[in-house]
Amino acid sequence: MNCEESKELLVAYFEGLLEDSEQQAVEEHLKDCSSCQAELQELKGLHDRLVTNGKALAQSNLEKDVMNQVIREQNVRLKATTRATEALKIRRTIMRSPMTKIAVAAVIIVAALGINSIMAPSVTWAQVIEPILNARTIVFDLILGSDDSGMVQHEIFVGSRIKRTMSNMPNMTMIIDTDNEKLLALDTDAKTAVYADIAGELGDRHRSFIKFVRQIIGQLQDGQVEELGEKVIDGQKAIGFTGKGQNEKVTIWADPETALPIRIEAQMGQEFSFIMKNFEFDAAVDESLMSMEVPDGYTLQETNIDLGNASEEDFVKSLRIWAEIIGDGTFPEAIGTQSAMAQMPVLIQKVTAMQVSEEKGTEIGMSFAKGMLFHQTLESQGQWKYTGAGVKLGDAGKAIFWYQPQGSATYRVIYGDLSVKDVAAENLPK
Amino acid sequence: MSENDKFYVERCLDGHPDDFRYLVRRYQGVLLANLAGKLGSRDRAEEAAQEALIRAYFNMGKLRKPDSFFSWLLGIADNVAKEHQRKEQIQRQREIVRSFSEESAGTELSQDYALESAIAELPEAYRKVILLRYYGGHNCNQIAEQLDMPLGTVTKTLSRAYAMLRESLQQQKQAEVYEV
Repeated sequence: MNCEESKELLVAYFEGLLEDSEQQAVEEHLKDCSSCQAELQELKGLHDRLVTNGKALAQSNLEKDVMNQVIREQNVRLKATTRATEALKIRRTIMRSPMTKIAVAAVIIVAALGINSIMAPSVTWAQVIEPILNARTIVFDLILGSDDSGMVQHEIFVGSRIKRTMSNMPNMTMIIDTDNEKLLALDTDAKTAVYADIAGELGDRHRSFIKFVRQIIGQLQDGQVEELGEKVIDGQKAIGFTGKGQNEKVTIWADPETALPIRIEAQMGQEFSFIMKNFEFDAAVDESLMSMEVPDGYTLQETNIDLGNASEEDFVKSLRIWAEIIGDGTFPEAIGTQSAMAQMPVLIQKVTAMQVSEEKGTEIGMSFAKGMLFHQTLESQGQWKYTGAGVKLGDAGKAIFWYQPQGSATYRVIYGDLSVKDVAAENLPK
Repeated sequence: MSENDKFYVERCLDGHPDDFRYLVRRYQGVLLANLAGKLGSRDRAEEAAQEALIRAYFNMGKLRKPDSFFSWLLGIADNVAKEHQRKEQIQRQREIVRSFSEESAGTELSQDYALESAIAELPEAYRKVILLRYYGGHNCNQIAEQLDMPLGTVTKTLSRAYAMLRESLQQQKQAEVYEV
């Protein structure tokens, strides 16, 4: 090998790219050639310089800044409507989308409230229930829990359609078609729309509070209604009646002159209650606002929402979400539909901050909803108790929840580490 | 190296913006090396690299071949560099007019600016190989795959790139000697 040939191969030589025979030939040549040795040293010097500089630059960290900017920019783009359409061309790259889908989970929790206990159909009670049973449109506000729980849901009920907005998620609007068992959720900020199928097992439940109240009323038997007399509510004279079922209770306060309801209080199971007020019966409602079509300018997103057959396992998953995501490692003060609804904005906010994928965000929302659906079945039929307030996630020594499955002699107890055990009645935690 | 570029590009397009971070990790060093030589300071290179990455993200829908993400990204970075250079030129001219100062306040040069500017001057084919090899952590086989060329061509390109870099560095050195 001569010097010219050797010099040409030197870079490949120290990069280890030569075949064995060439490698050996270069080595042989180098032994006796000081000029090529010098050349090799110089090339190696440049190599080291490249490697050193490469390492120095690799230490810089653009990742955080770039990702923050990508996400910030994306939100800005989504807000400016005209530019949003352009950004949406990047197929489905939408940060806000988990929001819409999680909120659908929320609305389904509420929508799926129902009673499973069966009572014989019975007479209605007096005129006060007539508008509730027969009005074609009813507009009202609904408060989960008590008057001071702070979250108001505004509902327009027209035949088989319901339009619902919630004070704690002002950008979300839901339209529910109870005939076709479909739900349309609209995010008015992000201009995104999601359809959800609420058929199947969920279809057996009631998706409107009006229907819910109607059903309770329909199931009340003679002698279960009690007159409460008169009192003043919100400055208005009202006469009250209470109807009690096995597991639920409805109190209606109505105007004694017109017999129109002013306020309805419903209680179901041990912890779930709601109040309906600010009624307008047979108000003129623009039915185009109740359309199940995706409005112009909205982007439709796909979902596959499966909320059927909620099980204990789903409930345990939702408890994990409750502690891990909402509570930063601690179980909440209370659980149940009302608390779930109140915490929904927190969940959405935290999931968004976690910067998880849309898929994952939706999955979290749905797990949470499904677990709460399981809890709702307990509200209407079983005995249960939540004892987890302030317990740290992972604390195997503390029970956070127990319930008695239908037809079971023993109880299921869930602990802080989310393990579940069968326990006899006498050994139940206090 | 875990998944290939195409995988992450498609993840981003399918609505997983978070996965863009893997591409950022993979190419930040490459971009900085490419830009530092053109722009003259680490800070400016970082700024331009960020801008290039963000532009790439929001234009990903226009990338026809997800396989060629790297070449495409480098093209974006080169455009950003040109824009920045133009802006800087204008700014510097204004400053000169304003203050008659010889130089704008010394910008903090990158660790090995001579090397970086030599890389910046390399013709694209040679620049890509050097960038991927020493700033992108690719071995020569990976470069061959990434740039879709035979290994032998990678070897030759690399050797030739070394020769050009040496020449360029030598010229710079001589220029310095004369300046002093």
